[in-house]
Amino acid sequence: MKSTALRSNRAPRLGERAFPRLMLAPTLVVMAVLTAYPLIFTFFYSFTNYNYLKHANRPFDFVLFQNYIDLLQDGYFRQAVFNTIKFTILAVVLEVVLGLLVAVFINSLKRGQKFMRTLILLPYLLPAVTVALSWRMMLSPNYGVVNQWLEALGLPVYNWFMDSKTAFGTILLIDVWQNIPFVFLLLYASLQSVSQDQYEAARIDGAGVVQQFFYVTLPNIKNGLALCTLLRIIDTFRLFEKVNVLTGGGPAGSTSTITQYLYLYGIKNLNFGFGSAGAIVMTLLVLVLSSFYIKRAIK
Amino acid sequence: MKKLFALLLALTMALSLAACGGQKEEPPADSGTESPQSAEPTKLTLILRGGTYGDVIKAALPAFEKENNVTCEVLDLSFDDLHSKIALDAVNKEGAYDLCMVDGSWMAEFTANNVLANLSELGYSFDDDIIPATTDICMVDDSIYLAPYFGNVTVMLYNKQLVADAGYEPADIDTFADLMDIAKKTNAAGKKGFLIRGGSGDNIVSDFIPHLLAYGGWVVDENNQPTVNTPEFKAAFENYLELYKLGGTMDKDDIVAAIDSGEAALGQGWPGWYVPSADSAANYTVIPTKLDDSDTAKNTSMYGVWTIGICNNSQNKEMTMKLLEYLMDPETQLASIDLGGVPCRTSCLLNEDVLAKYPHLETVHGALQTGVYRPVIEEWAEFTNILGTEMDAVIQGTKTMDEGLSAAQTALEKLMK
Repeated sequence: MKSTALRSNRAPRLGERAFPRLMLAPTLVVMAVLTAYPLIFTFFYSFTNYNYLKHANRPFDFVLFQNYIDLLQDGYFRQAVFNTIKFTILAVVLEVVLGLLVAVFINSLKRGQKFMRTLILLPYLLPAVTVALSWRMMLSPNYGVVNQWLEALGLPVYNWFMDSKTAFGTILLIDVWQNIPFVFLLLYASLQSVSQDQYEAARIDGAGVVQQFFYVTLPNIKNGLALCTLLRIIDTFRLFEKVNVLTGGGPAGSTSTITQYLYLYGIKNLNFGFGSAGAIVMTLLVLVLSSFYIKRAIK
Repeated sequence: MKKLFALLLALTMALSLAACGGQKEEPPADSGTESPQSAEPTKLTLILRGGTYGDVIKAALPAFEKENNVTCEVLDLSFDDLHSKIALDAVNKEGAYDLCMVDGSWMAEFTANNVLANLSELGYSFDDDIIPATTDICMVDDSIYLAPYFGNVTVMLYNKQLVADAGYEPADIDTFADLMDIAKKTNAAGKKGFLIRGGSGDNIVSDFIPHLLAYGGWVVDENNQPTVNTPEFKAAFENYLELYKLGGTMDKDDIVAAIDSGEAALGQGWPGWYVPSADSAANYTVIPTKLDDSDTAKNTSMYGVWTIGICNNSQNKEMTMKLLEYLMDPETQLASIDLGGVPCRTSCLLNEDVLAKYPHLETVHGALQTGVYRPVIEEWAEFTNILGTEMDAVIQGTKTMDEGLSAAQTALEKLMK
């Protein structure tokens, strides 16, 4: 005991000071290369007119805030921001609510949980582009099975992706369909860890199914729910593949998202300066939207 | 123990860094000079447009590979990906690609930024059999940078039965008034009269340009300044919208499916979309050249010719040149027709045996002789984004024509400043 006290009071030797830093070094190097450098690079280029091809052998110019001014003055960018926020709110709410209901339902099954769990996960295992192409075939106004069913039932048919009244809702539906399993998986894992004793105690106290859900289930999975919501917000905010494959942001910009806008006006034309400005704006928006969780995590 | 572990860790990191920064292997000298008997085959990388355009090239490769001790790796890409990948690789000193497929609308951007090799300097020249108008986009001054490989040009896709029901023979459809008449009659019969192409800005603009040409308008003036808010543009757009209301907007696959299945009568297309035969339900005809019988004929077919070139940073220019010459050879091109190819060669398109099998190629040949290229400007991709987006807003009714075209004109003037 004495020797331990003595050891803790003396100044650490050089090797002892260096060791923890050395242990941290690989992580810091990876973080610096994969996170800090791209972020600084993007921030720097957002103040330039850098075009990857045109400025390969020529210097680019600093345009200060011109890219940001152009972005904010562009009605199509504002529309893309509005669409992205609207899409994110609707998609995340639907995915979390439906995912939670599915998780609670599967968790309550006495038999067949494993089978149902596997079945429900299938859409999430598919790549987004495959999902988009499959839905495009199913919703084709000519040979699509959905319109054929609707016609057979005497219901009106639509040109789902080319009509500004239906395109947004259709992509929302596809995204919700694909991502419910992710929410289900996280919440199902949280539900598995809720002690059955709490339900038993609640039942003894006379709590019904709804009361058990609100006073036992929800408080126990609230951390999982918050994490799940945050992950879905970040992921949905970056929505790109489905929009790019199915509508290209049209018709009339009704499905345009921030990432689609940045691809169309920045990346596709190799205007990385303009694209970087958009990426910075998007990062700030994601930070704002997820700030409630980050604040909570810091506390 | 800690010291030893720290030492080991530091050593591992140092070795890793040293390995990452290892000296590059010296690139082989231009292997195009190797004899065909050389043991190691030369590897060529081809970056092509996916679909029929690239498939016909892939089908021709085995014979070349065998004869020249070459192995070819092919990348099939979408329109946008193809453009990005060629451009991104162009800044490297040693390129990853040898032969590239290039859309005519990228020519100005690529030649301005040194992406393509000068084929004239490598000894290439056009022969008389290649349709002269298709080579215009391939040259800068007297130097050749590209060879016209796939004769894509806008043509009118029609359903034979629905056109006959409207009282027309395909040869009689020679004015835009005829198109409107067929569309109205078909629409009255409960089918779609005319389909326009939706999707990206480029699709919308490309689909509209033949109408604009018929009305005597163009998207830029002689100084490449935008002219999209003119009376000619508005008149053409009104006609286009009227046709749209008699049908609808669809993507490429749905346009072909709707016309082939008899759900729609007319729509503009490209020869690469559909290969009609004598007994197919749909066929191609030339896009009308006049507004009505009293009008004078104009060139209304727009080129979308897929060309092939050599990347300027290719490490195998000589062998790639040999491949390009092989692909442009009349015999290779004639053989490509059975796979859906559309050569830019008169001898292939008007070959008697070919026409007996694919009569629509005579129409394509006519269109290729009189087609119009999109403006040769570096900013064309951004130009179509802006114009297509505003036109889409007008088509969907979220903006009036005056609002949309005025906004497009302002944005395009800023772009072209």
